[in-house]
Amino acid sequence: MSLLWLRVAVLLYGVAALAVLPAALYDRPRWNKVAIPAAVAGLLFHFVSLAEMLNAAHHRLPVDTNETQALLGLLLAAAFLIVYWRYRTVSLGVFVLPISFLLGLVPAFRPGQESLPFSQFHTGWIFLHIALLLAAYAALLLSLLASVLYLIQERSLKSKHASRNASWLPPLETTDQIALRSLLFGLPCMTAGLLIGSLIAQQTIGPSYFLDPKVLLSFAMWVAYVVMIYIRRHSGLRGRRAIYLSGFVFLVVLAVWSANEFSAVHRFTTP
Amino acid sequence: MSRNQHLVLIGINHTTAPVEVRERLAIPSGRLADATRTLVHRPGIREGLILSTCNRVELLTLQEEGSSSGGDLLGFLHEYFAVSPSAITPHIYEYREGEAVRHLFRVASSLDSMVVGEPQILGQVKESYTVAREVGAVNGSLDSLLQRAFTVAKKVRSETQIGSSSVSIASVAVDLARKIFGSLERKTVFLVGAGKMSELAARHLIQQGATNILVANRTLERAEKIAAQFRGQVIPFEDLYDQAARADIVITSTGAPQKLFGRSHGQHFLQSRRNRPMFFIDIAVPRDVDPRMNEVEGCFVYDIDDLQQVAAAHLSNRSREAAAAETIISREVDKYQQRVQSRGAVPAIVALQQNAEAIREAELARSAKRLVSLTPEQREAVESLTRSLTAKLLHPQLTALRAAAQSSEASPTNDSE
Repeated sequence: MSLLWLRVAVLLYGVAALAVLPAALYDRPRWNKVAIPAAVAGLLFHFVSLAEMLNAAHHRLPVDTNETQALLGLLLAAAFLIVYWRYRTVSLGVFVLPISFLLGLVPAFRPGQESLPFSQFHTGWIFLHIALLLAAYAALLLSLLASVLYLIQERSLKSKHASRNASWLPPLETTDQIALRSLLFGLPCMTAGLLIGSLIAQQTIGPSYFLDPKVLLSFAMWVAYVVMIYIRRHSGLRGRRAIYLSGFVFLVVLAVWSANEFSAVHRFTTP
Repeated sequence: MSRNQHLVLIGINHTTAPVEVRERLAIPSGRLADATRTLVHRPGIREGLILSTCNRVELLTLQEEGSSSGGDLLGFLHEYFAVSPSAITPHIYEYREGEAVRHLFRVASSLDSMVVGEPQILGQVKESYTVAREVGAVNGSLDSLLQRAFTVAKKVRSETQIGSSSVSIASVAVDLARKIFGSLERKTVFLVGAGKMSELAARHLIQQGATNILVANRTLERAEKIAAQFRGQVIPFEDLYDQAARADIVITSTGAPQKLFGRSHGQHFLQSRRNRPMFFIDIAVPRDVDPRMNEVEGCFVYDIDDLQQVAAAHLSNRSREAAAAETIISREVDKYQQRVQSRGAVPAIVALQQNAEAIREAELARSAKRLVSLTPEQREAVESLTRSLTAKLLHPQLTALRAAAQSSEASPTNDSE
C-alpha cells in the first residue's frame, strides 16, 4: 500500500512541477490553484507512504539510498510550501518540485531492500540523525537555488531590457532572505544531526568511528557551512560570489553523500 | 432585454473628438446624477447610464421600440450642453444591440482607453453605474448588462497581462525598485536635485511605502521646500557623498554639467552598506550618474532613456495582450447575446411547466385513495418520482423552445414574422 501512496505522491509532484511552469514563467497565477494543492496533496501522500513503508519494514527509518532520497524529496517539497506560505512566490518550485519528483521516482518503482544492523534501542535517535541532516541538506539546496534566482534577477535588472526582464522571479531582497534564512535554519539541524550521530557512534562502535573518511568529511562540511554563514552574514555577500560559496559547500555535501561507498562503518544509511 | 427594447449607445472619445469638443460635453461628477435623471426622463428611454471621463462621454440607453433612439440621444446632448448639432455630430459614434454590448465590454476592460490596460476606467464605469442606480435609471436589463461588463473586465484583467506592467516613467521606476527591494516600506529615498519628474517619482515611491526622504540641492531654500513637502530631511550638498550610502534609492536630477557619481562612488557606497543593493534613478540630462556604476555588483543604474525603453516595451506587451483580450470579449458578447435571446422563450417555458405541474397534481389527487396506505417516506418517493418524470418529459420541449427563441432573435427575417 505504501508504494501506491508513494506513486500517487510522485504523480502529484509531477503535476505540481508542470503546473508551476505557467504560474511562474508565464505569470499565470491561475495555475497556482493547481500547483499548490497538488504539492500539498503530494506531500501528504508522501508522508503517509513513508510512515507506512517504514512501519511495514519494522525499522521505522530510511535504510537505503532510495528511501533516504524519498525523505529528502519530501523535505524539499515541504520547504517549497513553507517558502510559498511565507513569501507568496512559486518561482523556486520551478526547480524544487522537479527535484522532489525525481527523488521520489526511483523509490516509487524500486523500494529499498537493505536490512538494519542496529538495535531497535537506537532507532528513534538514528531517525532523528538522518532527518536532521537531510533537513540541513534540503536547506542548503534551497539556499543555493535562491542564490541562483538572485543572480538571474540581478543580471536581468542590469541588462535593462524589459523584454528579457525576469518578471517571474521574486524581488532580490526576497530571494536573498530565502537564501540566508534557509542557511540559518540548516545550521542547527546539521549541528544536532552530527552530534546525535557522533553519540550513537561512540556508544556502538567506539572512537575508531571518528577516523572514518565519511565522518571526517561530515565535520569538514559542518565547518564549511559555519564559515559560509559567517561570511554571508558579516560581509553581506550576495549574487555571484554567494553562489560560488554555496556551490562549494554543496559540493562538500555531495562528497559526504557519496562517501558512503568508501566508509567502512557508516554503511547503514546514506547521511 | 426583451424584443420590444433596444440597446443604443452613442458617444465621443479621444479618437473621434479633440479635447475642445470633449470638454464641452464633459459632465462633472456633481452633475452626473442630474444629467442621468434628465436622460431617462426623455420619452422612449427605459433605462440609461452616462459615462463621462476626460477621454470620453457616452450615453448607454435601453429604449422602447419605435422611439427615435440615436437621434433623440443627440437631441439630449444638444439640449443639455447647449451645443449646436454641427459642433458634435461629426464626432459622434453610435452602436446598437450586440455592437453596443461589445463596445461596453471593451470600454470596461480598458481596451478602448488611450493607454490600453489602464485600471481607472473600470472604476469610472462603476461610479457611473452607482449614480445611475441611485437615481433609478438602471434597474433591469441594463443592470444585468453592466454587471456582466464588470465580470468580463475582471476576467480580462485576470486572464491576460494587459494591466500587469507600468507604462509611465515614474511607475516604471517604482516597479524596478520593487523588483530590487520587494516591499518599499521603511526604504530611504535620496532626492539629489529638484526636478518635477524626480518629485513625481518620489511621490510614487512614498505611495508604495518609502518613509525616509533625504533631499540635497545646490539651492538650500529649494531643498528645504521639497523636504517640507515630503516631510524629509535636508542634506547639505557638500555632505552628498557621506550621506548617499544611507539611501536605498537615489533619484538624481541636477543640472550639473559633469557626472556627480562615478563607479568608485558606487563601490564605496556598497562597501559601507555591506553590499545591500542601491538603485540609482538618473533623470538628469546631462546624466548625473556614470553608467559604468551599473557594473558594480549591487548597484542598479537607470537613466531616462533606460526608463523610457522599459515603458515602451511594456506598452508593446500590452498591445499583444490586447489581442488575447479581444478574443475573450468576443466570446463573452456571444454568450451574453445567447442568454438575452433565450429570455424571449421564458413566458412559454413557464406556461408549459405550470401546465405540466397542474396535470401532475391532478393525477396524484385522482389516485389519492389508492395511495392512502403509503407511509410518509413512500408518499415522498412517489412525489419525487412524478416530479422527475415530468421534468424529463418536458426537457426536449424546453430545449427546443430556447433554441427557437435564439434562432428567431438572431435572424431578422424570422423576427419580422
